[in-house]
Amino acid sequence: MGTQRRRRYLLVLVASLGPAIAAPAPAAGERINFVSCPIVRDTRSVPCWLSEYQGDLYYLTIQSDVSATVQPPMLGHQVLVEGVVSAAAPICGGIVLEPVRLSVMPERDANCNTLLPADDRYTIDFNPRPPGPSAGRLAFATDPAPPPASSAPPSGPQTFNVYFDFDKGVSFRHPADLVAILGMATRLKATRLRVTGVRGAHRLSDGTLLRESEAIGQRRANEVAQLLAGAGLKISTTVDWTDGASQADGVDDWQSRRVTVVLEP
Amino acid sequence: MRTLIWLALLPAAFATTPLIAQSSPAPAVSGKSQWWEPGDHGPLPAYIEYANPWGRLGIVNTSGAIATDGHPFFEAIGTNGRACVSCHQPGDGMSLALSSIVRRWDETHGKDPIFAAIDGMNCPNLPAADPASHSLLLERGLFRIALPWPPVDATGNAMTPEFTLEVVRDPTGCNTDRVYGIDGERHEVSVYRRPRPAANLRYVSSSRFGVTPFIGKTGQLATVDPDTGRPANMNMMADAREPTPKTQAQSAAHTHLQVSEPLTARQLEQIRTFELQLYAAQAFSTGAGALHEPGGPSGLGPQAMATGNDGVLGNNTTRFVFPMENKWADLPAGRDATERERNASRESVQRGHDVFFFRTFWISDAMHINTVGLGNPIKRTCATCHGMHMTGMDTANGWMDLGTTNHPWALEPAESPWAKKLPELPLFKVTCRADLPPHPFLGRVIYTQDPGRALISGKCEDVGAIVIQQFRGLAARAPYFSNGSAATLREIVDFYDRRFNIRYTEQEKDDLVNFLSVL
Repeated sequence: MGTQRRRRYLLVLVASLGPAIAAPAPAAGERINFVSCPIVRDTRSVPCWLSEYQGDLYYLTIQSDVSATVQPPMLGHQVLVEGVVSAAAPICGGIVLEPVRLSVMPERDANCNTLLPADDRYTIDFNPRPPGPSAGRLAFATDPAPPPASSAPPSGPQTFNVYFDFDKGVSFRHPADLVAILGMATRLKATRLRVTGVRGAHRLSDGTLLRESEAIGQRRANEVAQLLAGAGLKISTTVDWTDGASQADGVDDWQSRRVTVVLEP
Repeated sequence: MRTLIWLALLPAAFATTPLIAQSSPAPAVSGKSQWWEPGDHGPLPAYIEYANPWGRLGIVNTSGAIATDGHPFFEAIGTNGRACVSCHQPGDGMSLALSSIVRRWDETHGKDPIFAAIDGMNCPNLPAADPASHSLLLERGLFRIALPWPPVDATGNAMTPEFTLEVVRDPTGCNTDRVYGIDGERHEVSVYRRPRPAANLRYVSSSRFGVTPFIGKTGQLATVDPDTGRPANMNMMADAREPTPKTQAQSAAHTHLQVSEPLTARQLEQIRTFELQLYAAQAFSTGAGALHEPGGPSGLGPQAMATGNDGVLGNNTTRFVFPMENKWADLPAGRDATERERNASRESVQRGHDVFFFRTFWISDAMHINTVGLGNPIKRTCATCHGMHMTGMDTANGWMDLGTTNHPWALEPAESPWAKKLPELPLFKVTCRADLPPHPFLGRVIYTQDPGRALISGKCEDVGAIVIQQFRGLAARAPYFSNGSAATLREIVDFYDRRFNIRYTEQEKDDLVNFLSVL
């Protein structure tokens, strides 16, 4: 936080000196956490996604497909950005955040409506997935991993963390997680399931503590437990929930938006 | 008994028997003679063509001619005189064209069983034999679908939906009726929808792609096939309420045929077996000629449907949604006027395909497409959503809200003193719970003609979401969209152009229409 505070002072100083002097770019490695409107900048191929915070424009990701690690946010909504400033060259005019975690804020915001036309000053030299049909495979699909050398059955409690978008429950992100839990329950011959929902909290770069709604941890835990039971995992189940506010420190706070599932043999 | 002109009676081993000859210009069944009455008892040939405004539709039975005598799909097994075939007519691409409905009204003076009070009227309490009582069927091809309100889960227990439902406008009177209304004795909500084609179901019900115990777009539980215990792809119906051809048949027998007893296991298996071997697609185009011939596009014609692979994603340049291999691009001018016109039509179809497949535009604010990790908006093409190889459906869990039933995009005449035509469909106000996230594009108060999938799931995000239709046999079964709001193929194109501000040129629109007409 100290770095960010110093930078804010610097910005005030720069502003007082007039427009001829630009604010220094944030330093590589600096963590940036903010909520702002996303911006779409079209290119000759796929659009870029950007967001502006304290006078700096950040590159978030590009349009790709469902296999992308970082999936674009949504106009009409603000986005919670949690990232680390990269030393890489700007993309689409934006400072690159790598890694970056994006979460669409659930409430609508009509001010988030900026779609910039393609501009030849901004090109992207990577294009894993064109805007039209693909070449036949997902952009970020990896080759199947080789089978494990030994197929020793799992033993002992097995823990899964399922992560969520801000203030949201189960969504398109979760079928693979839930299927993995079901598969492990079968292999483990699980007899007991513990589901703990966490209400997430986020320390933003301006010092604000951004908290999810009060009941979200409980709602997530109940939903995950009900879905697993509905899919056939009908074993002794404990559902609990907790508040992650005390852990928010601005470092990977997205991990507080989660449900932890423990399977016991 | 109808007079059928059979174009061919083919051996059961269809898959290995070329059907090229059947696509050449030939007499086809047309007009009154192509209507199948329940209990007609004639066989449905292994291959038959039916005339439609764009040419001829071909029907293929890969197991050979179907003996319809005693067959539960073709017999009036309920109490109202209907059979499955009543609303799934071979000549209408196994759906029911508005033109056929109107013709049946005229021919039978409204006595055909398709006009049964239970759903062939705007509401069962209206006067019989009055065209006004059947206006939605006679003007838009819509049947009443009565669903429990509040929704019930798989075990029949009432669910607590995420929203309340109020009737804002009730032109049919049914949703405010003391018996049939949402607060009436039966606790039903009435929506009005087109019958879906009961052909090409091997594709429609395929679970080979993207089907898990959890719905890919929402993470919620997928509906399960009661016979196998496995999750279904949930593409069978407009609201995905039934998972398989068998469960759909059982439900339809109860609600549409008004059977006194549930269908037997044998009857259900007969229906399932029939539907899964049945293929329908346009076979001959008045402009482009034969759609299946040596050296032609491999993805056109009913024969292509019969031999294609199901459960395949086609939104890519390896499989394609509707493979045409560029066969109709840059054709020679032609030796005479007939060939020149045909080749010009074929080139238009090819261009229409390319617009469908490659022409990008911004897809925005569409629930279950802009919300599944692609971003809002996305710069993509028609094939992004219509990606299932050979059908143009979504591969699995294919419901989306494109605005066909939700405000502000759904088209109904404005209510005003100057309007010559009044709104025909009901309008509901959906108010989503304040303690849950709002619908990402429509907020917590939504106005809709048909809440679609939300009437089954109880989810606010599903309001107005409708399962994507297959593209096959479009020429034979106007009008389009689940609420019959597009009277013509051109109106489909115009809807998308307006909805997504695509700005198609007139040439692109014409080419798209020609492309859709040959599927």
